[in-house]
Amino acid sequence: MILGLRPPVAFAALLAGVAAVVIAIFNWKGAPVTSETFLVTTYIGLFLGALWAMYATGLVVVYTTTGVFNFAQGAIGVFSAFLYWELHVNRGWHSILALFVVVAMFAPALGVLLDVVIMRRLRTASLVVQLMVTVAIMVLLLSVVGDIWEADTPRRVPYLFGIENGIDLGPSQLPWHRLIVFLVAIAIAVAMRFLLRRTRIGTAMRAVVDNRELAALNGARPNVVSSTSWALGSMLGALGGILIAPELGLDPATLNNVVIIAFAAAAFGALRNLPMAVVGAMLIGLLRAHTGAWLDFGPDYRFAHLAVAPLILLFVVIALPQARLEVGRLAHHLRRHERYTKWWEGLIGCGVVILLAVAFSGGWLDFGVWDPGAWGSRELNSANEAMAFALIGLSLVPLIGWAGQINFAPLAFAGFGAFVYLKLAGDTGNGYWIIVVGLLCAPLGALVALPAARLRGLYLALMTMAFAQAMSLIFFPHSWVMPTIGVGRQFPHIELFGVTFDDRRGFFLVMVSVFAIFVYGLVLLRRSRYGRRWMAINDSQAAAATLGVPVVWTKVVVYAVSASMAGIAGVFWATVSGNVDSVQGFDLLIGFNIVLLVAAAGVSIPMAGIFLIFIPLFTGLGHRLEDAGNVGYLVTLLDIMTTYGPGLMVLGMVFNPRGAIFEMGRGFAPILPWRSDARAEIAAENAQKREPEIGELGIERPFTPEEVIAIDRRLGILDDVVPKEGYGTSRS
Amino acid sequence: MALLEAENVVMRFGGVVALDDASVDVDPGLVTGLIGPNGAGKTTLFNVVTGLLPPTSGRVRFDGVDITRAGVAKRSQMGIARTFQKLEAFNTLSAFDNVRVAVEKNHRTKWKHQRVNDVAHEMLGKVGLDDVSDVTVGTLPTGSARLVELARALACRPRVLLLDEPSSGLNEEETSSIGQLLLELVADKDNDLAVLLVEHDMSFVMGVCTRIHVLDFGKIIAVGTPMEVQGNEAVRAAYLGGDEFRAGYVGVGE
Repeated sequence: MILGLRPPVAFAALLAGVAAVVIAIFNWKGAPVTSETFLVTTYIGLFLGALWAMYATGLVVVYTTTGVFNFAQGAIGVFSAFLYWELHVNRGWHSILALFVVVAMFAPALGVLLDVVIMRRLRTASLVVQLMVTVAIMVLLLSVVGDIWEADTPRRVPYLFGIENGIDLGPSQLPWHRLIVFLVAIAIAVAMRFLLRRTRIGTAMRAVVDNRELAALNGARPNVVSSTSWALGSMLGALGGILIAPELGLDPATLNNVVIIAFAAAAFGALRNLPMAVVGAMLIGLLRAHTGAWLDFGPDYRFAHLAVAPLILLFVVIALPQARLEVGRLAHHLRRHERYTKWWEGLIGCGVVILLAVAFSGGWLDFGVWDPGAWGSRELNSANEAMAFALIGLSLVPLIGWAGQINFAPLAFAGFGAFVYLKLAGDTGNGYWIIVVGLLCAPLGALVALPAARLRGLYLALMTMAFAQAMSLIFFPHSWVMPTIGVGRQFPHIELFGVTFDDRRGFFLVMVSVFAIFVYGLVLLRRSRYGRRWMAINDSQAAAATLGVPVVWTKVVVYAVSASMAGIAGVFWATVSGNVDSVQGFDLLIGFNIVLLVAAAGVSIPMAGIFLIFIPLFTGLGHRLEDAGNVGYLVTLLDIMTTYGPGLMVLGMVFNPRGAIFEMGRGFAPILPWRSDARAEIAAENAQKREPEIGELGIERPFTPEEVIAIDRRLGILDDVVPKEGYGTSRS
Repeated sequence: MALLEAENVVMRFGGVVALDDASVDVDPGLVTGLIGPNGAGKTTLFNVVTGLLPPTSGRVRFDGVDITRAGVAKRSQMGIARTFQKLEAFNTLSAFDNVRVAVEKNHRTKWKHQRVNDVAHEMLGKVGLDDVSDVTVGTLPTGSARLVELARALACRPRVLLLDEPSSGLNEEETSSIGQLLLELVADKDNDLAVLLVEHDMSFVMGVCTRIHVLDFGKIIAVGTPMEVQGNEAVRAAYLGGDEFRAGYVGVGE
């Protein structure tokens, strides 16, 4: 113990303190610090903190009572803020009435709906499915907002009681709105703490997450409890969204990103401790306000002051105590014989993919939509983007699909890969540097995973998100990293084996070949001891550790492999676009969509990467339809598929966690001549379906001989003696 | 000196004392029993010994080395293997692959695929699971999944084997063959193996154990041979009337 702190906490605090002092000294703006400006900055910080505390409270309440970490918390706020704008501003309702309708009627209804339809079913699901589904809900809600309230109309949500009315503080004014927000946030946090700790329903809520069956035996009603939690969490999200909208403006992406700060605040309270989460929110608020007021990071780090939350999350992760090893969860949807792709099957599959690509790009394959003769640059560009997406998607297969770890930052790794390549091969485009890119991205992946690998999986997910945000705020905007000045191509055409692939068709084939190599590598990896070990830590970390598998190290290695693949994919992606728009190119939301699509396709299967082709394919299809003057419902349909497709498909994971490709593969396999095992499996399933339904244990009528055999078979005690008569009849 | 020693282990969870100054020692060449009513702290002791739980106080020594602070994987590499009462098999892997994960980590067979497979098959054969080696463990009945855990633990080439209720989910015949297997394993001088067995099936415990520790409310209330333990008043009291014991005694006598 150092000053009453556990060593890791003391270490993290020291690290954070030193970092803060160093950053402050080197970036001091030089503005005079007066007590007035200091006070004003402080109150702005507390106000911001209060808003984030509201979000964080909602997160903590839902997490402690249902065990699900709700990534859609911010999106619920966005939707509510827009609804409030619609009612209050657009339709002229009184603000109190609109507030009541949105916060007290719409939000709880949404929460209960989410719980009944989706969340309840996620109780025993894996972390991957839980997180993917809440992320899908986030993306869907944002898409709905974008479709209902089109972005071209400027909108403002007014302050409650106007910005000009408030308490006079001398140099400035404290508007009622901000004062109320602060008080309401504190009141809510206190009330929630009281609810969880001191009331009957609160005790039941906490008990249900620990042991649902036991709590139910003691009179708690688990379904009522979880619906209550979701209603409460959703109300808090709605309130936060409506109150923060006047400050940030009514923009879905900006409003939604607020939730990342709330994640950091919640992590400050170890995701369960409400008072500490509020303290964390206030701390981030104060740091943000004071950084903005006194520090100037210069043009290269112009967004750095926004990166407070990800940095806080990093320090929290360092400070948290080592988690107990995760024990196994129930595994669902297992098949009696799991089958891994054989090496020669992988070879054949990859060969077919390459042949198809050659035929496709050469114009020999016509899907009725593409004009084979004039396969123009736009279509090829779409196809190239698709391949780049698919490569990035492949990097998630070993990580999410096998080891069960989450990575929301594939694009950040891809961007880093692109950066390394630009610096190494920027002049010549020599393709051999790509190998070096892969080697340099691996340590970055390990570095990101290292602090959080000893914690529960959720922290790794949050950590990758914080990393993605920190990269896009601090690293990518730097002029040295991604020069955006000037027009024209900054990324060289890749040169391999003495050939420069400067036409899109050739480059497409290069990427398809790389895709095939990646897939084949994954097939081999899956069959190797490493693939097995990664699947094992996904099933039970505790058991893996007792067999001598170093769990933390294994996780770090998987991240390194994944980052390395993503980095290589990033080189191709950057080469496709030629120009890297420094910030938007590596947007977090696109990252979410890639992760979602891979997950929906069935992230444990390498070929799932192919699914990512749908995004640009639909866009390309839309272009072509529009060119053909076919601007009707078809284009709209494609639009809807691109916007809502990934999210909707992931919701399917609630019922089918293994993904779409898996089911398709099951249907497809029996056709292959060498897959007699698949045919046998289907035959066995059909035989089971034909087996007679066993009634109420022979109460209704005596068992027939067939039923006796069926029961014996089910109990696994089938012997060769078949009774001549039913047991029941012989007894009577 | 015993091979594995837990000394004065205390484990508190908030206000609950799961282990209260418990000491257990295990010697090679024999099966040591650890019995006690439900909630006595048997599994908690296993978790402390294997490193899954850091004890509030007390020491764990293995082969004379203090391993109280060693990590789980480290202890496994030193030769401590276990099975779990609440199953912790790798459910999405086949029985064969479950064992292979252990073989690959614990045998010096780098890149020798065939050798790994041979050892894995041998281990599955020992517990009698050859015929389901390619079946996904999550779809196996509980008893068989338990045997997969046993095969996996054996594949670690353990010096101490901690078994947490290996017989639950098995029928009588399977139970007795497991008992036979344990006796063979400890009798083999090449193995130099020590077994610590947590079990509720009294005839099984009395049949295979040479020494028995009795745990009640986190305290060790008796240590001795099966006969001594069955005669112990405190043990009878702990087991509420001791009917279970008499039944077990008869079982051994037969």
